[in-house]
Amino acid sequence: MSKIREHPPDAKGEMTSPKEGDLKAFTVFTQLQRGDPHIYAGCVDAADAKMALQFAREHYGQDQPCVNIWVVPKQAIAATEYDKDLIWRYTDQTYRLARGYAKGVREKWEKIRAKNDLDDYEKEDLKEMF
Amino acid sequence: MSGSSNVGMHIDHNVQEDPEKLAEFEAKIDAGQLIEPDDWLPQAYRTGMLKMAEHHANSEIIGALPEGEWITRAPSLRRKLALTAKVQDEVGHGQMLYRVSQDLGKTRDQMLRDLITGVTKYHNVFNYPAPTWGDIAMIQWLIDGAAIMNQKSLADGAYGPYVRTMKRINMEEAFHFKCGEDMVLTLMSGTAQQRVLGQDAFDRWWYPSLMFFGPPDKPNCRNLPPMRWRMKTVTNDDLRQRFINRFVPAAKDLGLKIHVVKKSDDGMVIEKQLDPNLHYDESTENWTVTDPDWEEFYRVIRGGGPCNKQRLGLRRFSYEQGRWVRIAIMNGRAGLPPAA
Ligand SMILES: [Fe+2]
Ligand SMILES: [Fe+2]
Repeated sequence: MSKIREHPPDAKGEMTSPKEGDLKAFTVFTQLQRGDPHIYAGCVDAADAKMALQFAREHYGQDQPCVNIWVVPKQAIAATEYDKDLIWRYTDQTYRLARGYAKGVREKWEKIRAKNDLDDYEKEDLKEMF
Repeated sequence: MSGSSNVGMHIDHNVQEDPEKLAEFEAKIDAGQLIEPDDWLPQAYRTGMLKMAEHHANSEIIGALPEGEWITRAPSLRRKLALTAKVQDEVGHGQMLYRVSQDLGKTRDQMLRDLITGVTKYHNVFNYPAPTWGDIAMIQWLIDGAAIMNQKSLADGAYGPYVRTMKRINMEEAFHFKCGEDMVLTLMSGTAQQRVLGQDAFDRWWYPSLMFFGPPDKPNCRNLPPMRWRMKTVTNDDLRQRFINRFVPAAKDLGLKIHVVKKSDDGMVIEKQLDPNLHYDESTENWTVTDPDWEEFYRVIRGGGPCNKQRLGLRRFSYEQGRWVRIAIMNGRAGLPPAA
């Protein structure tokens, strides 16, 4: 065993080395298949983008098939606030969705087709009677 | 579509591509892989994709103009909300497609200017007038219906950013189409007057929607770059036939008559007769109709359509009037009124 392990310096008292601060936070996005969107995977601390990519590869690139990684400095991301900015409004928005018309369209088709059948039937009926 | 050039890009059409890289590129496409903007691309592919995406973007922006005019005249609040949302969607499609085009190497400002000065084109179908609410219904049923068919086939293409954009756009197109179908159904199951309104609008839009898919196929179109490189995946005539097979029976059910028409210079129908060629071929399971007048198609592309001047004039007006907004945004003064 080395000397330093046998007689470590006293842990009490002021540190002699100055504070350094943290590394930068990078947000990581991984892509599972070429052409797919990149999906938020998590965050890593790194000195620069190159290091962040290396860490992201280790942390997020190996637990599932992953073909590409993006890292973005966390502070470069602007975001909405959950409580202040309602993205999906709570008034009825079905007028701007296809499913908002599905039922009405079906009913109108049924009516029109039923009427056509009836018209055909009446025409045939008239032909036969006269 | 013809007539578009790419100002601001330096393209050498005689460029000899590296045969090895070209083979690699084509192998990727044949293997069904998506091509991304940072990949090696043959010059002609980059030019072709840009031309296509830019033309598509232009069409979304111009296409919003005739429909936007009807927002204030919508017949009910729900229809007004829906039309506002639809027009908003279309302009959004334009934004997404300009973004795709920018990544292929042309600035957005140059594209907006080239559209206004006629250097680039937009879809022919938007050079026809929409004089009644019936036209708004027919545009949303026929033209958005045609757009879905076309864009679904484009979503099977090879260029990643364009394919992803098509998938997003198609979700919104489904709303446009369903809403259009609802409007047409409402008209055609309404009063006699409403049914006439619907029929008249159908007569105005039937041929423009057949022309929507572009001119008849060239015999070798499957071997030319657009299809060989999966920029397009289905030929114009095949898409047109799908459209006819889908819409002829629906029109019949609705009580709409298919007419061959003659139009005045301002796009109004002056003569019509029942389509003498309309029939169903049991053996091919295809509907046949009279072909569009391709001379008219080319005349309208060259600027001779009823609304070409009006559309571009309005676009120029709003671009030039909007200058102060762009300046405010660029200088970080977004939201401020112009200095007096
Ligand atoms: Fe659109
Ligand atoms: Fe649309």
